Amino acid sequence: MISVSNLSKKIGDVQALDGLSFHAEDGQITGLLGPNGAGKTTCLRTIFGLLKADQGIATINGIDVAIKPVEAKQQLGLFPDPFGIYERLTPREYIRYFAELSGLSRRGALDATNKVIDDLQLEDIADRRCKGFSQGQRMKTALAQAIVHKPKNIVLDEPTRGLDVMSTRVLRDMLRKLKSEGHCILFSSHVMQEVASLCDRVVVMADGKAVAIGSPQELCEQTNQTSLEEAFIALIGTDEGIAA
Amino acid sequence: MNNRFFSLLRKELVDAARDKRSVMAGLYYAIFVPIFMAAMMMVLIDKITSAEDLGITISNAATAPDLIAFLDNQGIRHSDDKSETKAIEIIIGVSYAEQMRRAEPAEVILIADGSEENLQSAIRRTQRTLQNYSAEMAGLRLIARGINPRIMNSLNVKMQDQGSSESKGGQLIAMIILFMLLSIFVSGMNLAIDTSAGERERNSLALLLSHPISLRQLIVSKVCAVSIFGMLALVLVLIMSKFIYPMVPWQELGFSVDIGLSFMIATLIAGAFIAIFAASMQLFVSFMAKSFKEAQTYISFVLFVPMVLSYAVTFDLATDELRWAPVTGQLQALIDLMKGKEIPLLQLTVSCLSTLIISVALVLGMERLLKSEKIVFGL
Repeated sequence: MISVSNLSKKIGDVQALDGLSFHAEDGQITGLLGPNGAGKTTCLRTIFGLLKADQGIATINGIDVAIKPVEAKQQLGLFPDPFGIYERLTPREYIRYFAELSGLSRRGALDATNKVIDDLQLEDIADRRCKGFSQGQRMKTALAQAIVHKPKNIVLDEPTRGLDVMSTRVLRDMLRKLKSEGHCILFSSHVMQEVASLCDRVVVMADGKAVAIGSPQELCEQTNQTSLEEAFIALIGTDEGIAA
Repeated sequence: MNNRFFSLLRKELVDAARDKRSVMAGLYYAIFVPIFMAAMMMVLIDKITSAEDLGITISNAATAPDLIAFLDNQGIRHSDDKSETKAIEIIIGVSYAEQMRRAEPAEVILIADGSEENLQSAIRRTQRTLQNYSAEMAGLRLIARGINPRIMNSLNVKMQDQGSSESKGGQLIAMIILFMLLSIFVSGMNLAIDTSAGERERNSLALLLSHPISLRQLIVSKVCAVSIFGMLALVLVLIMSKFIYPMVPWQELGFSVDIGLSFMIATLIAGAFIAIFAASMQLFVSFMAKSFKEAQTYISFVLFVPMVLSYAVTFDLATDELRWAPVTGQLQALIDLMKGKEIPLLQLTVSCLSTLIISVALVLGMERLLKSEKIVFGL
């Protein structure tokens, strides 16, 4: 479970987060939906302790990131944007490396790597160096890295950006599977369709604040709209920066 | 804890070994610098040890066969080959023989451009030789008249040339060792940039920091990886040097360059301190840079400092003070060892300790840097 309360963060002159509060439950997919510049990435970076909040706290399974960063990060898996692939390593080496950094033993990391390569059907590219990989292959490698150590909480930053239909489906299926296994999944997106089809709960963000929280259904009812898109526009007052 | 450190280190080394640019930087230096240095030394030794023949133009030579023979003995002779003739001309006066016979000053005209920088030493040499001949003739005349020619010498000037072969040789040894130690800086440089500024440019730094590792583990593993690369280059340079430098005719300068086992071990120990220092310095600087290119620029500036200090040592400037300093202290100790002198242990210890202390300070500095959001995200 990931929970943030009253998070504020100023970057330069911009108030990137302004009293943001929400929580993402285990066994649910929670979407952070907001236009570009709403503070989604800043929020995720703060959850990982990479940015220090001016105010408020972020906890992972009840552990405050700012106080016990290593323990908190132990409970997290990150699917970053951009992916941060090492081009001179093979996916197998890459995944195993991050598994070891997440605290698995050498042996344990090896087993976990083989398992995740199997789950994501990465076998055909697992021993090729990542240089020259397609966006879909990179996505799979990055996703494997995020889930190899079976973290309770998985955070994805704009996961479907630049992916083709097939890759998007692989990603969606994996997220649903992880959800059914009881993981807490939090992802940020500005793609409406994505959020509508996947999320159990949606946190609508604008200007560093959560303007509405609920299931897609609830958000529609709350705003008397028939689609999430209309509901979203009604909530934030504009459709600027949002992809249908 | 240890497990993660070794995972980090292993990955850094694998990644670096597959980076052609990093490997080549080290290899090229280690292989070609000793070869290049040896070739240069051979040319230099040849220049230092042999006074070359001086070709000039001599007109009316037939009038003064004795003088011509004297000049020839000193390596100064007439040459028709334009390519090796200096622009110096000696014209023997028409009545030279007659004047000589009558013991009058015989006319010899020396024509040369005195403002020509390249001709200075040749002109001086010609003048000196002519004066020597003149003095010798004068002495003979005095003896013929029953006078001791020594009364002509009121001063007894003894020139002691400080630029002897041996001290020139000392500079050459200093150069050799300087270039050995520089290999540590050169070969670790590309890796240092790649693993810091490059890591951020490829967006993997934030991902790395999102994992449950401490900054110290991360930084120390990077420092170790870069140091190991530097040390590998040093080992390679030593091996190359062992085979290449004996080909240089050092004995002509009165000493020998023997890269024996004890010298190699001493170099590797002193080099280890320098490698850690070089790695932490280069990483620190490149973490501050926003991109690979920017880091390259910064590092070349920073490299300049140990370079200049080391050159000061090679040219015997402020050597006593620099014995205490990092890099230059180790450099001087190794030079002393090679020359067979006694090594001042206190200074060497202080120098090694100061090298370590600076490295630790740089590591702590990097920890601070990486805690800064500005540095990690380039905000």
